[in-house]
Amino acid sequence: MTTLRLPDRAPHPAPPAGGEIMQVRNLTKSFGGRTVLDGVDFTLSRGSVVAFLGANGSGKSTTLKCVMGLETPESGSITLEGTDLSTLRGTELVRARSGVAMVFQKIHLVPRRTALENVCAGALGRLRGPASVSPMFFSRELKEEAMAALARVGMADRAHEKAGRLSGGQAQRVAVARALCQRASVLLADEPVSALDPRAAEEVMALLAELAHAENLAVAAVLHQPDLALRHADTVIGLVDGRIEYSGDISGLDASMQARLYTPNRAAA
Amino acid sequence: MSTPVPTLSVPPVPRAGWRIASILAAIAVFIVLHVFALRGTDFEVSALVTGAEGMASFLADAFPPDLDWESVLAPALKATTVTLWIGLLGTTLSIPTALLLAVFASRTTTPHRVVYQLSRAILSFFRAVPDIVFALIFVTAVGLGPFAGVLALICHNTGVMGKLWAESMEETDAGPQQALATAGASRLQQVTHAALPMALGQFVGLLLYRFDVNVRSSLVLGLVGAGGIGLLINQSIKSFRFDAMATQIVVVLVLIILVDQLSSFIRRRLEV
Ligand SMILES: Nc1ncnc2c1ncn2[C@@H]1O[C@H](COP(=O)(O)OP(=O)(O)O)[C@@H](O)[C@H]1O
Ligand SMILES: [Mg+2]
Repeated sequence: MTTLRLPDRAPHPAPPAGGEIMQVRNLTKSFGGRTVLDGVDFTLSRGSVVAFLGANGSGKSTTLKCVMGLETPESGSITLEGTDLSTLRGTELVRARSGVAMVFQKIHLVPRRTALENVCAGALGRLRGPASVSPMFFSRELKEEAMAALARVGMADRAHEKAGRLSGGQAQRVAVARALCQRASVLLADEPVSALDPRAAEEVMALLAELAHAENLAVAAVLHQPDLALRHADTVIGLVDGRIEYSGDISGLDASMQARLYTPNRAAA
Repeated sequence: MSTPVPTLSVPPVPRAGWRIASILAAIAVFIVLHVFALRGTDFEVSALVTGAEGMASFLADAFPPDLDWESVLAPALKATTVTLWIGLLGTTLSIPTALLLAVFASRTTTPHRVVYQLSRAILSFFRAVPDIVFALIFVTAVGLGPFAGVLALICHNTGVMGKLWAESMEETDAGPQQALATAGASRLQQVTHAALPMALGQFVGLLLYRFDVNVRSSLVLGLVGAGGIGLLINQSIKSFRFDAMATQIVVVLVLIILVDQLSSFIRRRLEV
């Protein structure tokens, strides 16, 4: 049996002093009368990786979905680069939101299309007109930008490979390149490595942290394992039953804090 | 000494009497319906027996088939080619209409709820009207001949293929489409960059299946004057040339088997 030997802390350069880019204030959300998020507050900063931790059902995915606009919170505000998103409508809102990219557990590439075409699709939000309906009409500039994104995630040599033929770890890296091609400054990832084997999970998390620090992106990742957070995140937000139990530096995620985040639900009756 | 096996009395099935009564009622309704149906269709086994003689003379007339090249075989082959062309055009020329309506009539890709309901209704209409009825209408409109058959197939096939395509799009993984939506892609871009490429394999399989069905349908359309080999078979029956008809049917059978084999061969290749 081969074991994967990992350092306690991956060798990331120290995060630059990045500015705050997104403020989320007092988010509440309930489904059918049951409160799922109860006053969630947090801030995302450029050049920093935030890990969301918490037991199943604690509200991690719902938090990201509210930020993405995939769920509508009952109350709370989301401010992106100084603009309260609730004041925007229509195309203005779409344009503002395209500054936030999402990476999914199930990756969601189009298997029949090549890695390069999938990456180019990240730019669709800023392409309009009939020529944007087919990869045939993608401009040389767009393809070169997508190639650079693929190179950034170490997948340039597979540009013309169909996405369906890539391994999970490779596909997730292409999905990260798609987010780069979207030119987003905030990257939200809901369990981006839960479907990957340990080595690929490690590589993808290291890539996300490296991008945050080197490209000055704000990365927020829901993680299912505290040790992934310990190795790659700068700060942690721990949720218990839709409330923030811990918010702060990664060094605060000690054994007793982990126990508090993952103890069986006390409030449930 | 064996220890007694534990037992527990079974609680009575709730409303057991009702269940038995409703099953009996269903059987009674079924029987009554069939009595009416058998009467309504003059269903008589004795007619089959007395008709056996007619059947025998028909077969005697049909054998041996008339294989005369000039008067039977050559025209039959030519008309069969026309039947094939009707089936081909009826399938391919309905692709644009079927595709548009399928995108509108799939919950995952429709631009609006009203458009969705409207396109569902249009698809239902074209599917509900049999191709032979469309053929009768177009024969009156554009005259006897294969063109009427092509138009009839386009109409009916739009309804069937559009529905099948819409369903296959609703069943494919919506994840990639959602991913593009969060990246700010427009609805049209989501359709052309995610929904359609995700469903393409299914689409081609269903298209080949419809081609197969349409070639067979175009044979029947010929019987009402919409061109092709069906027209010749109809003429042979009317002039009691059963030996010529036998030849025509064999030629058609060969065509249908070839098309069926070809389409299932391609579909198998697509699956891998
Ligand atoms: N669309 C929904 N409808 C009803 N309940 C939901 C829905 N989405 C999430 N929930 C509930 O909200 C709670 C939090 O879910 P989620 O945010 O997915 O948790 P996590 O990602 O932390 O595991 C869970 O109890 C879940 O059952
Ligand atoms: Mg979740």
